[in-house]
Amino acid sequence: MSLLVIMSLLNGLTLAALLFITASGLTLSFSLMRVVNLTHGALYMAGGFIGVSVIKVTGSWLLALLAGGSVMAILALLEEKFLLRWARGNDLIETLISLSVAIIIGDLVLVIWGGYPKSIEIPAMLNGVLTIPLINLVYPIFRIFMLGLSVLIIVALWLFLKKTNLGVTIRAGVDNFEMVSALGINVRRLFTVVFCLSGFLAGVAGVVGGTSMMLVVGEDWRILTLTLIVIIIGGMGSLGGTIVGALITGLIYSFATAYIPEFSLFILFLPVAIILSIRPHGLFGAKA
Amino acid sequence: MQFSNISKIAVVLVSLALLIAVPWIASDYFVMMCIRVMYFGMLTLSLCFLAGELGVVSLMQASFFGISGYFIAIMQTRYQIPFPIPPLVGIGVAVLFAALTGLLVIRARGIYFLMLTLVLGQLVWALASQWASVTRGDSGITDIFAPVIFGISTEKSKGAFYLFELFFFCAVIYFLAALKRSPFGLMLRGIRDSESRMAMLGYPVSLLRYMAFIFAAFVASIGGVFFAYFTGLINPHSVSLTTNVETLLSGILGGIQTLFGAILGTAILKILDLVLSGITQRYLLIMGVLFLITIMFAPRGAAGALKRLWDGFASRTLGSGSPAGGVSDDPFYEDTK
Repeated sequence: MSLLVIMSLLNGLTLAALLFITASGLTLSFSLMRVVNLTHGALYMAGGFIGVSVIKVTGSWLLALLAGGSVMAILALLEEKFLLRWARGNDLIETLISLSVAIIIGDLVLVIWGGYPKSIEIPAMLNGVLTIPLINLVYPIFRIFMLGLSVLIIVALWLFLKKTNLGVTIRAGVDNFEMVSALGINVRRLFTVVFCLSGFLAGVAGVVGGTSMMLVVGEDWRILTLTLIVIIIGGMGSLGGTIVGALITGLIYSFATAYIPEFSLFILFLPVAIILSIRPHGLFGAKA
Repeated sequence: MQFSNISKIAVVLVSLALLIAVPWIASDYFVMMCIRVMYFGMLTLSLCFLAGELGVVSLMQASFFGISGYFIAIMQTRYQIPFPIPPLVGIGVAVLFAALTGLLVIRARGIYFLMLTLVLGQLVWALASQWASVTRGDSGITDIFAPVIFGISTEKSKGAFYLFELFFFCAVIYFLAALKRSPFGLMLRGIRDSESRMAMLGYPVSLLRYMAFIFAAFVASIGGVFFAYFTGLINPHSVSLTTNVETLLSGILGGIQTLFGAILGTAILKILDLVLSGITQRYLLIMGVLFLITIMFAPRGAAGALKRLWDGFASRTLGSGSPAGGVSDDPFYEDTK
């Protein structure tokens, strides 16, 4: 019994880390541009599949990670520059445009990589199991690596936002957009940077997720749903809230998958309903 | 548009007569097409009602459509419950579910509403797909038989099914049209255009929005009844995001503001579906591109374009009618910034 608990706990933490990576990009671009980028799940999946192909050709996992991230960053850039800018200012139309792009990417992935579930090969040096002392739990090394890597990405993102000039500008834009643009900062460039960044993060998460989980058709909508739940629980535009939301979502989903698989996703209705009825803007969300 | 009352009534009566005559004058193929357009039309109508009267875009109307279908399927194939009960319970449960989810979404506006309904719709889809012991998972439930009405089996006779459905379809349209014209509809539009003013005037804003949400779910669930009976099968695809997006696309294609637009859009998309399914498997890709193009270049849809043409024609030849110039190109009339 305790084995299943610990396994679910570790899986849940890994999923929470992945969800945080995808949700942070979404919440940043939302609070800056007022767009819920519904392409995010599709970018996750496409990034993962690009990782599958890159590792098949080059054999390098690190290269797969970078390729998945960069290609998705470029895709997000194109989407922002050529499609979303078209409807700038009308957030509902922008969101619907991103929804249609998600459908197009989802079907293109099906055309290119086929409908069979795929998974990214685990790099040789990470293949194997680790026996955790004290509790005698056998756990794959690469899963622990995934958890470590995800935490590393989170820390890097945190440092970028807290310490670099660009990061500070982004946070300022999130807090008070009018003031930032009045100070003469190029807002358009800021939009593009944030969109690229969030695309990159989605692609990277796709490669990491594609290694620890499967990449199947429909994965884009599953990840998008989970990511949106994270944001609904945590509150829009709050990175701290996103961490809490990701932990709640990841852990509930992981435990439900282990104990009540028939309701693993539907059970998330409960936290969403409870939090929305107590705090309509999420745990840490400011009233928009 | 400049129609007198009498000519309006005449047009309605003639088209009604034509619709009733369809099973006798048209081919079986056409009848089946009409049946499909009518049940998906009710789904689109429910979305367009919310979009037109509340100014919100819902991505969970297919959930109510599917819930009534699933309840019919489960009650009929598992427990052999006789005819009038399964559809009534199905619609009842769908309305109850709307009453529950309505509490959560009704405070949300604009993209929040879209996002929340997307998530809730996906959770319903997950339930349909994962709760295999009841819903039979992705393969779905088959062998749902249409009922016998006045001694005629609507399972065997497509014409009878058509007339049975047409009756409810017209009832739904009448219901929605009456709702739009009633004080209730006027209040809803008042809320859509200026919520703070309506609240200040003492109208129960949240309650009215909540009721509109439930009415819309009711309409969608009636569509679900006919869907389940006609196809004889229900699976998670009917509550999937794809179905929700198709519904939205139908609404936008036809023009989301009018009831006529909803039906027109559904007919366009279903005919397109039929044509494409013979040629290519990339239906989703084409649908996505079509969605993108419509939302970017013609957000007021076919009915909007027709109306603009008519207005232009009327103002030129008759010297009357108002050109659509004053209205923005935004199909959802968003004024909450």
